[in-house]
Amino acid sequence: MSKLESFEPGLAKKLSEEREKDWRKALRRELTVQQRLAIPRHRMPEQPVSQRIKNFQEVNLGYTLELARAEAQRCLDCGQPGCVAGCPVAIDIPTFIKHIEAGEPERALEKIRETNGLPAICGRVCPQEVQCEKNCNLIKAGKEPVAIGHLERFAADFIGQLSEKVTVSTKECSAGKKVAVVGSGPAGLTAAADLARLGYSVTVYEALHLPGGVLAYGIPEFRLPRAILNSEISFIKSLGVEIRTNFIVGRTATLEDLKEDGFRAFFLGTGAGLPAFMGVPGENLLGVFSANEYLTRVNLMKSFKFPEYDTPVPAARKVAVIGGGNVAMDAVRTALRLGAKEAVIYYRRSRAEMPARAEEVKHAEEEGVIFNYLTVPVRFLGDSQGRLRGLLLQRLTLGPPDSSGRPRPVPVPGSEYEVEADLAVVAIGQSPNPLLIRQIAGLKLGRWGNVEVDWESMGTSLSGIFAGGDAVRGGATVILAMGDGRKSARSIDNFLRKC
Amino acid sequence: MYRILKNQRLVPNLYHLVVEVPEVARSAKPGQFVMVIPDEKGERIPLNLADFDKDKGTIELVYLVVGVSTRKLSRIKPGSSLAGVAGPLGRPTEIGRKETVFLVGGCFGPAGLYPIARELKLAGNKVIFLTEARDHAYVYWEDKIKAFADHYFNLFRRDCFDSGKTLETAFNMVKLKYPELSRVLVMGCDYLLHKISTLTSSSGIKIEVYLTPIMVDGTGMCGACRVTVSGKTYFACVDGPVFDGHGLDWVEYFARRQAFLPQEQLALGKLEILPPEQKKT
Ligand SMILES: Cc1cc2nc3c(=O)[nH]c(=O)nc-3n(C[C@H](O)[C@H](O)[C@H](O)COP(=O)(O)OP(=O)(O)OC[C@H]3O[C@@H](n4cnc5c(N)ncnc54)[C@H](O)[C@@H]3O)c2cc1C
Ligand SMILES: Cc1cc2nc3c(=O)[nH]c(=O)nc-3n(C[C@H](O)[C@H](O)[C@H](O)COP(=O)(O)OP(=O)(O)OC[C@H]3O[C@@H](n4cnc5c(N)ncnc54)[C@H](O)[C@@H]3O)c2cc1C
Ligand code: SF4
Ligand code: SF4
Ligand code: FES
Repeated sequence: MSKLESFEPGLAKKLSEEREKDWRKALRRELTVQQRLAIPRHRMPEQPVSQRIKNFQEVNLGYTLELARAEAQRCLDCGQPGCVAGCPVAIDIPTFIKHIEAGEPERALEKIRETNGLPAICGRVCPQEVQCEKNCNLIKAGKEPVAIGHLERFAADFIGQLSEKVTVSTKECSAGKKVAVVGSGPAGLTAAADLARLGYSVTVYEALHLPGGVLAYGIPEFRLPRAILNSEISFIKSLGVEIRTNFIVGRTATLEDLKEDGFRAFFLGTGAGLPAFMGVPGENLLGVFSANEYLTRVNLMKSFKFPEYDTPVPAARKVAVIGGGNVAMDAVRTALRLGAKEAVIYYRRSRAEMPARAEEVKHAEEEGVIFNYLTVPVRFLGDSQGRLRGLLLQRLTLGPPDSSGRPRPVPVPGSEYEVEADLAVVAIGQSPNPLLIRQIAGLKLGRWGNVEVDWESMGTSLSGIFAGGDAVRGGATVILAMGDGRKSARSIDNFLRKC
Repeated sequence: MYRILKNQRLVPNLYHLVVEVPEVARSAKPGQFVMVIPDEKGERIPLNLADFDKDKGTIELVYLVVGVSTRKLSRIKPGSSLAGVAGPLGRPTEIGRKETVFLVGGCFGPAGLYPIARELKLAGNKVIFLTEARDHAYVYWEDKIKAFADHYFNLFRRDCFDSGKTLETAFNMVKLKYPELSRVLVMGCDYLLHKISTLTSSSGIKIEVYLTPIMVDGTGMCGACRVTVSGKTYFACVDGPVFDGHGLDWVEYFARRQAFLPQEQLALGKLEILPPEQKKT
């Protein structure tokens, strides 16, 4: 259980105390282990493929209470729950699942919210198969893991908001002290919520006109409906957090200006918004987009409703998406929904190495996305008007592992071939948004332009400035960003107690 | 927030907008721009800062009515509010000392160049200012600008058949009169930017053009605004919007500006019929 102790001293003990409560013991006895093991995993109800590729509504429809309780019965309520150690914020997973089994989703949600402020979102977008579910003990028994993500989502959706129940501390030492949070992505929102609960006066500054970070501009509605995001955001506002949109820290006001306005501590959650391009010829042709631009047009600016909304999005017949992560999956599935006749992923490694969430790959495959592995564009081809007409691709083979531990793709000489495309989306990664962090004198940055922090406290090289999420990690995950936000809030509290 | 104090026609094709955005007014520097969202369903469009007043908390913009967004903008009444204004964005224009700087503005250009002229003049530079326009009816802010220009003149396109030639004459005249001329700043329509850049390519004088590529966020996040200068790709919203007119890949720039032409035309067609005072400028 040492892994658990690294999250929080005494966590293992806390978990086992919960587990020894009478209602839990009684519930465990209702079914035998054999009976539980015999229940197959409950599939997530989905919109049928033929229908969903024509709309932007959520693909996953959610468990009903019956389905959720049946799935919860599969959980063995282990004495040594591997799942908890796999969750980056160490949610007490068995307890919340058993609350669902007992038919008390409200208590399940309370439990989840102790460590996770955005359960409806994490239940939807966490890569469960490499986190909580990967470590589920059912796998050792040769079964599919408990659908922890689906259950978390269920609890959050079923109950909706707990806002009335929230108590905000009014500790003397925090009251009135102003903290500025830069960026309203999951890192910033989590830090803000925790700081507000601790009694600080928190303002979140967001450069764009809507809060949410990648959750608002990157992840499409068919994976994360905006109503879900908006209700999480209004929950955070209900804690007293002020969110100032259209405010670019470093331009609209500098950190110095904010200090003059009375802010005593800062959290930088500015994300990894800088899109990487490939640097191959033809990349600036008309019709070649960064995934950020393509997805921002569609999600943030709602151009899938053009011309009701004013921002246009390119119509295309044959779409090529370069990359194999969540961003690439979102782009390619968006292209299908916008009417592409053919939507193709070009990924330079093989399926096994693809970093996208398993569920996204599955959905993309079902929806008719064509996957081309071990291929990379070496040139974008244009017509006389400077419009994209195709790609020159090269085949690759997998060589020995590179620094990331994954096999290095090696070009196959003479393997170039052309394909047609009238739209290409480059989704090969992004790095920390330099706008603010490069401007702060003395702020130590790492090799990739990321903010360097002390991982214990999330403190940067400058006193009173903390950072987390993608600004620190490069492209990571929602839940890691939230974990950083939470840790930073605690450190900011410690810091401000002293001053 | 974003309350409109004034939104009225300045010359036949341009509107003058004054908005309350105290934070932007406080931080604005000459040569920067803002992203404006006209209404809840609107696009984010970049517009140059034509003036700003810290004390009043206001900024001023001058815009050409071209498509849906600017047309919508022109219909919003004073007293109501815009959906959003974000900025100031882009690199402020470098202000040297004791230089002779030639500012050339057409269309909305003279407005955006006005605060630059003021700052240059106050820093002790010599300011030569040219407004290029169709005819006199399209000239505005003449007196305002003259207050900060050592030499001001207009150039009317209508007066000559080949306007390129006239620009050339004007440029040569300025060069002759001010042999120490070291910088030229050009703001306005693409045609003007391109024309001046080509006709000065062998003059040895640096031409700085204010580019207006298509933008989405304006903060360096999307790459919509990328331009190639001397073989290297830049994001105009954070690396610019000013670039070396002699190094720019104009062919690519012109092509990328046309990216959404079919969609823009469709959208414009769907926007209801124009109120009479805005038809045909
Ligand atoms: C298309 C896409 C799909 C993804 N899918 C998944 C997924 O399925 N599961 C998963 O776990 N992760 C996914 N990720 C990754 C995940 O979204 C990120 O790791 C996470 O959002 C990082 O959170 P953050 O708070 O650090 O930054 P962000 O979410 O990037 O938010 C940063 C915010 O800061 C703002 N900002 C930046 N600079 C300034 C400034 N100077 N002043 C004011 N505001 C500023 C930005 O506008 C932005 O809103 C995906 C990412 C993308 C792009
Ligand atoms: C940094 C920057 C500063 C700018 N400052 C100003 C300013 O101060 N005043 C001003 O009037 N405009 C300015 N522009 C241009 C302005 O942003 C566009 O005119 C506006 O976005 C057009 O929006 P629309 O919806 O009305 O037209 P759209 O429907 O988008 O376009 C209509 C037609 O106008 C053309 N067009 C598209 N984009 C532009 C463009 N960027 N410039 C000119 N024509 C375009 C298209 O070819 C299209 O056919 C600036 C642009 C940038 C990038
Ligand atoms: S937060 Fe993510 S990793 Fe943790 S239990 Fe929920 S879905 Fe699993
Ligand atoms: S490891 Fe799996 S079975 Fe065990 S408690 Fe966690 S979710 Fe339940
Ligand atoms: S407008 Fe998006 S990067 Fe410049």
